[in-house]
Amino acid sequence: MEEMNAQQTASPGADIVRLVREDSAAARLTRLSVLKEQFPEMDVEGIIAESGVPDLKKMRGKRDTYFFSDQSMTEAYAAHLFRIEEKDLLKLIAETVRDESQTYPRPTDARVFLGAPFNVAEHDLADTLERLAASPEYNDIRTCTASNGALYLYSSKYLGEAYAESLAEWMEVGQKENP
Amino acid sequence: MSTYGYTGRILRVDLSSGKIAIDDTLKYKDFIGGEGIAMKIMWDEVPAGTHPFDPQNKLIFGSGPLCGTGVPCSGRTNITSLLPSNPFYGVTSSHMGGYFSVAMKYAGWDMIVIEGKAPSPVWLRIEDDKVKIEDARWMWGKGIFDTQAMVASFMGKDAQVAAIGPAGENMVNLSVIRTGTSHSAGGHGGIMGSKNLKAIGVRGTGAVKIAVDSKEWLELNRFMMSIIGANNQHVVPSSPQPWAEYTDPTSRWTARKGLFWGAANPPVETGECDPHDMQSVGLRTMKATFDLGAGAEKYTVRMGGCAHCPIRCHSQLKVPQLERYGMDPYVSNTCMGWSSPRGVMFKGIKEFDGHGEDSSIVGTAIGTTLADDLGVWCNYGQIGRDLNYCYTNGVFKRVLPAEEYSSIRWDLLEKGDANFFFDFYNRVAYKKGEFSHIADGSYWIAQRWNLGDEYWNNKDMKLWSRLGYPVHHSNEAGGQVGALISCFSNRDAQNHSHMNFIGAKLPVKILKEIAGEIWGSPAALDAPNNYTPMNEYKARFVKWSLVRTMLHNSLTLCNWMWPMATSPLKERNYRGDTSLEAKFYSLATGINISERELDEAAARCFTLMRAITVRQMQSFDLRKDHDQTTEWVIHREKDKSGNELPQFTPGTIAMEKEDMELGRTLVYREFGWDEKTGAPTRACLEKYGMPDVAEELGRRGLLPT
Repeated sequence: MEEMNAQQTASPGADIVRLVREDSAAARLTRLSVLKEQFPEMDVEGIIAESGVPDLKKMRGKRDTYFFSDQSMTEAYAAHLFRIEEKDLLKLIAETVRDESQTYPRPTDARVFLGAPFNVAEHDLADTLERLAASPEYNDIRTCTASNGALYLYSSKYLGEAYAESLAEWMEVGQKENP
Repeated sequence: MSTYGYTGRILRVDLSSGKIAIDDTLKYKDFIGGEGIAMKIMWDEVPAGTHPFDPQNKLIFGSGPLCGTGVPCSGRTNITSLLPSNPFYGVTSSHMGGYFSVAMKYAGWDMIVIEGKAPSPVWLRIEDDKVKIEDARWMWGKGIFDTQAMVASFMGKDAQVAAIGPAGENMVNLSVIRTGTSHSAGGHGGIMGSKNLKAIGVRGTGAVKIAVDSKEWLELNRFMMSIIGANNQHVVPSSPQPWAEYTDPTSRWTARKGLFWGAANPPVETGECDPHDMQSVGLRTMKATFDLGAGAEKYTVRMGGCAHCPIRCHSQLKVPQLERYGMDPYVSNTCMGWSSPRGVMFKGIKEFDGHGEDSSIVGTAIGTTLADDLGVWCNYGQIGRDLNYCYTNGVFKRVLPAEEYSSIRWDLLEKGDANFFFDFYNRVAYKKGEFSHIADGSYWIAQRWNLGDEYWNNKDMKLWSRLGYPVHHSNEAGGQVGALISCFSNRDAQNHSHMNFIGAKLPVKILKEIAGEIWGSPAALDAPNNYTPMNEYKARFVKWSLVRTMLHNSLTLCNWMWPMATSPLKERNYRGDTSLEAKFYSLATGINISERELDEAAARCFTLMRAITVRQMQSFDLRKDHDQTTEWVIHREKDKSGNELPQFTPGTIAMEKEDMELGRTLVYREFGWDEKTGAPTRACLEKYGMPDVAEELGRRGLLPT
């Protein structure tokens, strides 16, 4: 592996790979637009595709195309960063909620979006939740409230109302009473 | 025979005669150590019908063959005796973390068996082979913090001390034995008090020998460290991390960038804690903010814990405001140690004494300091719910003399002023007035104050059994799995073998796969709050959990971390290794044993506890007399709109009566007990190598026909 790296540093392709890996190690996605600025004469996408480096992954968005190395960043984390980079808060929240409702399954604590890596401002979150509720595209995204007032979100595609409510109550209140 | 792992010696101290004797551990080795050996001693030596506070009762401090060897999470002390809060004084175990059992091992003792009753207060001084019963009349009446300091003044600061406070001295049923700053064993404090034993100090300068060469031992240790998670073996972080595929905001793996031990100098950042980085394992569990909220960050000096444990789950805080109340500003605790005082203040801790937004933390710290110093146990949080019930439903008004009722500072409770703690814990620890019976335990207050069915069957009371103990990872933890586990105890179940797995925070799909590998089918595990009817695989899961917890309490390993059924490693598909206990046991003792054989040894110990229960209850129909739950467990729940949620539909944790009976039958079958009554049969006892137990139960007419 070290030998391969030594060879790569001798070529522009190796520099690109190194940059993507450094960004990922620093918990950042690498934007294609930025790479193009740094390597203006090169077909960056083509070079990465032909590099044969298995840890480099690509995600194509509306605003840009992004790369990351799964040596130091999981696809799940990269998906969060991708949604953040795309600056579509509705989609960010809705897709995160759908993922969690389907995968774990569990409703999503709305406060999760206030913390890293999302760092959504409180007023933006409140505004986005209102817009979500009014958007037909995201009409599967519902809210429920635990008995201590904490707000949770879930996708009705994967969780029924009573089930989501009971899980929210367990996550918010029950677990604290049963440490 | 070698004594690798074991010291080979049991210290017996008869406080009535002052006689100190040495017994051989290895004659008990079929019962592993710790709780297992203690059960054997209780069966052999404590007659049926003994009251917990009788001199004939024994108090057994136990370590196991893995304690003191350096196996991760092996610092637990198991304490076994009769339990005064139990209606038939059932045999139970309580547990302390800290360094006490390791000091026992280093001093050369696997177990300490306390017998008899001293004519006046004493403390026990153990310095390696030198054992002395010392006068404790001057210590009597002191809180546990002062007592520990007094013992340390004689023995040195490296001595480990287990002591009782006024609650234990006064034989309050709900009282603790405590070691270190915050490691409490609940329920047996009064036993020490009844024996006039204020404290045990242990100083050990030896070591624990292991059979295997160090290379093999270190390799296994390193492997264990690679699959360990955070507290309760939570294997995913609580917030998204670049290395993590999964997250769960309720995980105890709370470390993240920007979260600090804020009162450390300089502050220590908990950080990302990649699971491959062994040096940051101790940072993973930032329990202060988990237990006490974000406001605790600035008070956190560090996270502490037990001997040989890389998981630091006790928050050690500096709360300068405590000095105003004459208290040490340094305060430490974890889990129920923090939440129990908050349960006592059931109307919440609001702003008091000018503490502003920090009132909750300051108030909780006052509560935990008082409970820990006076040595009051909470019956796993039940004392707060009992207080709430009796206050809210007018029980105190009915049963307390008017003068006593009006003297209680209810005004502070109503206002959310944590000064109420001084009144509450003082009355309880010193047995002042009728009110103090709140610490007799739920069964006894129900009898004394005629609380009736409404009390027992109230879902909010969380009472699991008419034996007087509450839920502790019960039907909310795997449906019938947690529910059935909670039916076999003589106190709250204290079982984390199932909970650490169910609560690992991995997606349920992965957990079901692992469940299939361990118990034969993914059907052993249901998604949370979405349960299916009972099946044989759940019964296997139940047996495994009961047996593993007995095993951990016998080895002694921390069941708040073990077993290692899962791991944080994606490259292992999040699999742990359930054979680790047997591997460590084999290497430490030189006695090669398989995972199955070690589980069977623990099943023997659990069956012996069951036999003691039969003898104590004088009934072999444990299905009817012991293993039943309160009614709320099997009552249909309603959703928020008031619609009934039938059992086995998403959103309810209610159990179904016939299904639970089937569950009992299947678990009895797994153990080889009588399927009708749940009692050990002669054949079962003989299979486990306990014909003497079968003989005695038969003689007493206590074997199922």
